[in-house]
Amino acid sequence: MEQFFQQLLNGLAVGGIYALVALGYTMVYGVLKLINFAHGDLFTIGAYLGLTLLASWNLAGVLPPAVAVLAVFVMVGLLVALIGVLLERAAYRPLRGANRLSAVVSALGASIFFENAIMLIYGARVYVYPDFLRPDFTVDLFGVSVPGVRLLILGASVALMLALSAFIQRTRMGAAIRATAIDPGAARLMGINVDRVIALVFLIGPGLGGMAGLMVGIYYGQIDFTMGWSYGLKAFTAAILGGIGNIPGAMLGGLLLGVTEALAAGYVAMAWKDAVAFLVLILILIIRPTGILGERTADKL
Amino acid sequence: MNRVFGLVGALALALLPVLSAQPATCGEIKIGLMCPLTGKWASEGQDMKNIVSLLVDETNAKGGINGDTVRLVVEDDAGDPRTASLAAQKLASAGVAAVIGTYGSAVTEATQNIVDEAGLVQIGTGSTSVRLTEKGLERFFRTSPRDDAQGKSAAAAIEKGGYKAVALLHDNSSYAKGLAEESRAALEKAGVKVIFFDALTPGERDYTAILTKLKAANPDLVFFTGYYPETGMLLRQKKEMSWHVPMMGGDAANHQDLVKIAGPEAAAGYFFISPPLPQDMDTKEARDFLAAYEAKYDSVPVSVWAVLAGDAYKAIEAALAAGKADPEAMAAWLKDLKDLPGLSGSLGFDAKGDRVGEFYRTYVVNNEGAFELQPR
Repeated sequence: MEQFFQQLLNGLAVGGIYALVALGYTMVYGVLKLINFAHGDLFTIGAYLGLTLLASWNLAGVLPPAVAVLAVFVMVGLLVALIGVLLERAAYRPLRGANRLSAVVSALGASIFFENAIMLIYGARVYVYPDFLRPDFTVDLFGVSVPGVRLLILGASVALMLALSAFIQRTRMGAAIRATAIDPGAARLMGINVDRVIALVFLIGPGLGGMAGLMVGIYYGQIDFTMGWSYGLKAFTAAILGGIGNIPGAMLGGLLLGVTEALAAGYVAMAWKDAVAFLVLILILIIRPTGILGERTADKL
Repeated sequence: MNRVFGLVGALALALLPVLSAQPATCGEIKIGLMCPLTGKWASEGQDMKNIVSLLVDETNAKGGINGDTVRLVVEDDAGDPRTASLAAQKLASAGVAAVIGTYGSAVTEATQNIVDEAGLVQIGTGSTSVRLTEKGLERFFRTSPRDDAQGKSAAAAIEKGGYKAVALLHDNSSYAKGLAEESRAALEKAGVKVIFFDALTPGERDYTAILTKLKAANPDLVFFTGYYPETGMLLRQKKEMSWHVPMMGGDAANHQDLVKIAGPEAAAGYFFISPPLPQDMDTKEARDFLAAYEAKYDSVPVSVWAVLAGDAYKAIEAALAAGKADPEAMAAWLKDLKDLPGLSGSLGFDAKGDRVGEFYRTYVVNNEGAFELQPR
């Protein structure tokens, strides 16, 4: 039983990060019906920018570590959000009227561009975050000792997701995003500036993705220029699992995928972890083709 | 491919009369070196060239081999089998006495038949794949160990450490999986129990699910046969779970970034087996070589495989000094060679052309995060 709880917590911490990244996929899909394949690379950029801010500007030397980490979180979120908006302007807006497949190809191109740009700027070697940033305490939970930083990551992911949910459900801008997702043409007729809504979506999604990258950097320490690929793939899967275009679905899908992986590794076979996780995905999609929380009829790519 | 080979063949034929028309070079011996001077393994290849050139200069400074000066002929194989086969053709037609090289088993394999048909002795440097010496080629040798030798050495190190219940973990790469399987076979023969055998997915960040499962199996040693980035993550997350089981690795862990990733505290006590670098060795040959290398190139060799190219030259030099210039005689002589002092320890070959002798050594990460070579 102790092992089960341990695996559950392992899975939830990983799943929290999947969920944060999945939000970026699902928001963009909800509004634009576009899979933003460059999203995983925005996540990587977040991890690298965080390291640059911490190391080159020596923020951690000037401020107390906790304050420095918070400040870097805000800065990385803003910078990656800015890159996200630029990406939309450069790679997606010119193709708004074109065939949807053209935009997908453009997204793949942007992904390759970002990955190679990071490699050329930072080099192909592995980078490592300074160790002292990581909060070092353990908590006893259900008789299992859990590293505190895992709970912090899970807590921060859930807090960010709840904040986003509140924003989408409770504010006027959120209502505009929902309206654009349902019917961009009608939304425009109602006086909603659709271009601004899309820009907003490209601020929020990449901003959250960048912060997830920073979390991975601080917690796991090791970052490299290809890390966005595997996280992006898993997060994309999580978004589909929960029902793409659906924000609570992305959160649920992320956590579920993380837990499934951990339990598969723990109780089936480690080498078959991904196979089991994807088998679960396929089974869920057979039973519910729109994903767990996907309600509208699917028009997926 | 056929057209390329045809072209090369035609060129070689065209050159043949020119070459054979030359008078037998008097007072000069040519030795060929194939190495990746360009491409992804360029740093290893350039080290190989530097090391062998240095040794050739030393030979010539001492008056050459039996009065003949040695001339090194270097060909770039770019770490690519096709380029390598061209390089081998060029060396064969340049009239070298023997061929050293090259790095990468697949690359070496592309050159084996070409050198063999030219009737020359070839000594591979960074070519660990078992099958290279299992083909029955009479004149092929290697100074690098075989993949299965590492498994045996790992098992010996585990036995020596007194471990009784070992967990083996690999990453599904052909190298790491092979090492894990060879180690399991050797351990079972030695009576050490392998209580866990599984693979992780390389390139991930979170291995806590795997560590939790490993912990439940309660091994007294975890042997992960993969590369240093995953090893670093495992060590780091193992410490975070406050699990203090010892962990070991193979030569793919021999990289300083391991300690950077894990953090010195989590890495302390981790050990791995690897061929030793000259800067870690205490023999006179290694010390002298290192001093000369530093004086000439102002750095130390970073790759052990490059040092093995130097050992290949040492073996050829010794054979020529013994008057075995004829390839058949040289091959026969090398197969009887025992205990020639080399840069990476004593040199000798068995009847298959594989290097003999205990070659792997144990490194332990100390409390400062430095790799310390252990005495035998």
